[in-house]
Amino acid sequence: MALRLNPITRKKLRRFRSIQRGFWSFVVLTLLVVFALTAELFINNRALVVSHEGKLYFPTYGAMIPGETFGLDYGWETNYRDLRDHFREEGRGNWVFLPPVPFSPLENCYPGEFIHPRPPDFARANYLGTDTQNRDILARLVYGFRNALMFAFGFMIGVYGLGILLGCTMGYFGGIFDLLVQRLIEIWSNIPFLYIVIIVASIVRPSLGWLVAITVAFSWMGMTYYMRTGTYKEKARDYVAAAQVLGASDARVILHHILPNTAATLVTFVPFTVAGAITSLTALDFLGFGLPVPTPSWGELLKQGTQNLILAPWIVVSAFTAMTIVLTLVTFVGEAVREAFDPKKFTLYE
Amino acid sequence: MKPHPTILLSALIVVLISSGCSRGGRDDAPVAHDNTAEVDAYYAAHPEFFVRKTPADLPAGLQWENGSHLPEIGSPQRIRGGTWNGRIQDFPRTLRIVGPDSNSAFRGYLLDDIAISFATLHPDIPGPHQFVPGLAESWAVDLPNRTVYVRIDPDARWSDGPAVTTDDIFFMFWFFQSAYIQAPWFNNYYGIGETYTQVIRYDEHTFAVTLKEARPDLASRVLLLSPVARHFYREVGDDFVTRYNWRFVPTTGAYVVTDDELRRTTTNRNHITLTRLTDWWANDKPYYRYRYNPAEIRLRVIRETTNAWEGFLAGDLDAFGMNLAEYNYDRLPDSHQLVQRGLIHKSTFYNDVPRPTYGLWMNTARPLLASRDIRLGIQHAANWQLVIDQYFRGDYVRMNTTADGYGDMTHPTLKARPFDIQLALEHFARAGFSRRGPDGILVNDRGERLSIGLTTGYESLGPILTILQQEARKAGLHFDVEILDASAAWKKVQEKNHDITFTAFNVGVELYPRYWETYHSVNAYEQPYLEDGRTPNPDRRPKVQTNNFQSIAIPELDALIDQYDRSDNLDEMRRMAHQMEEILHEDGSFSPGFLMPFYRTATWRWVGWPETFNARYSRDAQEIHVHWIDESKKAETLQARRDETRSFPAEVRTYDQWKPRE
Repeated sequence: MALRLNPITRKKLRRFRSIQRGFWSFVVLTLLVVFALTAELFINNRALVVSHEGKLYFPTYGAMIPGETFGLDYGWETNYRDLRDHFREEGRGNWVFLPPVPFSPLENCYPGEFIHPRPPDFARANYLGTDTQNRDILARLVYGFRNALMFAFGFMIGVYGLGILLGCTMGYFGGIFDLLVQRLIEIWSNIPFLYIVIIVASIVRPSLGWLVAITVAFSWMGMTYYMRTGTYKEKARDYVAAAQVLGASDARVILHHILPNTAATLVTFVPFTVAGAITSLTALDFLGFGLPVPTPSWGELLKQGTQNLILAPWIVVSAFTAMTIVLTLVTFVGEAVREAFDPKKFTLYE
Repeated sequence: MKPHPTILLSALIVVLISSGCSRGGRDDAPVAHDNTAEVDAYYAAHPEFFVRKTPADLPAGLQWENGSHLPEIGSPQRIRGGTWNGRIQDFPRTLRIVGPDSNSAFRGYLLDDIAISFATLHPDIPGPHQFVPGLAESWAVDLPNRTVYVRIDPDARWSDGPAVTTDDIFFMFWFFQSAYIQAPWFNNYYGIGETYTQVIRYDEHTFAVTLKEARPDLASRVLLLSPVARHFYREVGDDFVTRYNWRFVPTTGAYVVTDDELRRTTTNRNHITLTRLTDWWANDKPYYRYRYNPAEIRLRVIRETTNAWEGFLAGDLDAFGMNLAEYNYDRLPDSHQLVQRGLIHKSTFYNDVPRPTYGLWMNTARPLLASRDIRLGIQHAANWQLVIDQYFRGDYVRMNTTADGYGDMTHPTLKARPFDIQLALEHFARAGFSRRGPDGILVNDRGERLSIGLTTGYESLGPILTILQQEARKAGLHFDVEILDASAAWKKVQEKNHDITFTAFNVGVELYPRYWETYHSVNAYEQPYLEDGRTPNPDRRPKVQTNNFQSIAIPELDALIDQYDRSDNLDEMRRMAHQMEEILHEDGSFSPGFLMPFYRTATWRWVGWPETFNARYSRDAQEIHVHWIDESKKAETLQARRDETRSFPAEVRTYDQWKPRE
């Protein structure tokens, strides 16, 4: 189903670019996504470059480098912050170049000290402070965002895959098949989602894959309605009849003729699906049915924050601000996409 | 696609609402039923267990004792009256004391801490266990014949009037043996010939109970029994669980839930109040006259701990447990103005009780953990000291054996293995894990990673596992941490599907530790050995639903446990207990964690405590009920709370009279 850029699509994209708020939100969001995907380069307890005895090391990606490599007395992963101090003391020309935030989202930033939330400390590069386990909040926010993105991506593929498949077939074949699947969907919609999550969480440890599977299983229904009506509408058009007369198979008619013409409506849902997925994951984590500890997640941060409102307000402020920003950006993009793809040109948005 | 948050929210609301209203009202009054004939027939059908004799049949030469030489409990300065404002997490799901849902926090207020048994352990004296009278006026122990004789105090009354008689002890056995109560543990423990072999009635107020085995703590197994009110349970039958769900059980203790209160709670479940009986039979009895002082115990239902904390700071709750470092050092440090101004008093009390067994329980039935080298490696890779230093801020201490806090029954010299990466690496290398993989975790020649599951149901203690996990990485060990809902974790461990579990057994105040449940091979495997009784059975399957979480099956240990459980000689048992601890230490499948040698509590100024604060065997400040409320101080204290210029003498005290001397 090659979606070639036809003139109409190009026109839509042009219109999208012309909507300033949506377009710039899209740019910022894209930058954020790229930042999250390459976060190891900015927020990491592994150094970017180490120069030791004239040899350069790039520890960021790949296997861990034991402390022995750099002349330290231990065989586990090098602590690069200590190594930097060590090299400076030695003064033999060895150096370490650390990322701007030299902490991993899983580690205690205050080794050897009591565990309790610390306020932001710029001198130590804890720009947003630490959570209740002395872990850097910025690191947890960014890596948590990455997890949320992966969740949203998997969720989208699942929901759209199932929704399009079932919706198109229902609309295309109609009749008994349509009737049966519709009833199935109605029954399925009545199963309480949260109960299932609670039950599943009590049996298996919900990994990212599991969470995607469960949420998709209870979220694909909405998409089928749009695809079903869209397909019904397109099916009645002459070009579909023409294709059928020419002897095209059902699969070919659906994939090559109907889908490209209904897909336009789908695009307008994407940003809202992403926003929905991020909120879902956050809600699940907040309730304690989300990703296993110690995976960084926004819901977990929010939970900590609400439990420590007075004691450590920086936790809830960070998590809440991050969430608001991302969701607002996504919504702006969504509105712009919707407007750009709106067949009626003059609408409320103009 | 958009409605996700709302779906979640509405589903949550549905959950909350449905849990709030699923309950049979008390109004659908069941048909009357009388089990008198059935109970009498049961007694008659088991003449070897329920025996009736006359006072003339009492053996001569019994040494009757009544513990009256022991000091009183509580303080004569106490003030009676006032309302104690406490908290429960959920409204009780039943008022029954046995059967489904009855084992909740509220049962402590119905039975455990309130009801008076025939005699109780004096909670606050040095040296060995000694009893003070409760319902019993006096008692006599005949160790060789495994029998305890009891004379019930003729003053002893049920809260609804009738006297406590030997009928109630006969009935107790019928009740706990009956299938109607749907409580298998009770059925089993009180079953004929299980723990008790005979109950003899001499007259209205004199009875004797014979036990199956002569044990050093024989007396406690009879004296600590609480009788069951015969007159109240005439309607026990098939529908016991529903019929008695919302009836308040008559008690021998001081506090009752009145009928008015029960009516009120049918519509308002924000709190439940227990009222003190004004004419309580033990009002002026020694050992009770200075206890159970508040006129009312009002328990608010507060689900979230943080909300309860706000309630405490506002003066709505009288006390708050300060065991967690976060509360003691961050939320209410000694420098806090409420403490400095003497409005809230902080107390730390060193108690002397068997300690809950927090630690790593390694399931030796799992392939990796079957290797002793790996287990010892894990012992050295578990940085408990860091947990104690950083998470508990050095307040707690390291646990050393599987049974700490039993006085001289605890092994005197064994020490838990310290965190030592070098030793851990050596042990792992001996088990074939000598090379670090790309992520720093050890791998063996077959490419297997040294990754071991670590399951727990303690959500609030999650940070501990994060610390252990991060530290173990240094030794090349990966803990695959899994934090489950408490009941799910329990189920997993009971089915022996865990690698390692981080858990603890809470233990009551007992004379000697138990080993059979947790360490006997019959609780580890179905057919643990081949016919010679020693060689491990190659096809053995883990036995589910037992507490041998380590799947330990060691013939020498079995022999010791069997002997220990039959012994009536405490000295001999002490020797065996120490020997068993050494075997368990050698085996290395339990990594002892931490223990809290004290408890801490913060109370508002109007709560009074005895000079010594509390009792040696108390596990929390309210358990023994020696506190009181001084209502006259309450108004001025609450006023002073808003007026920052007013203050009273600050009180931050540590009571270490029971702290072991170094």
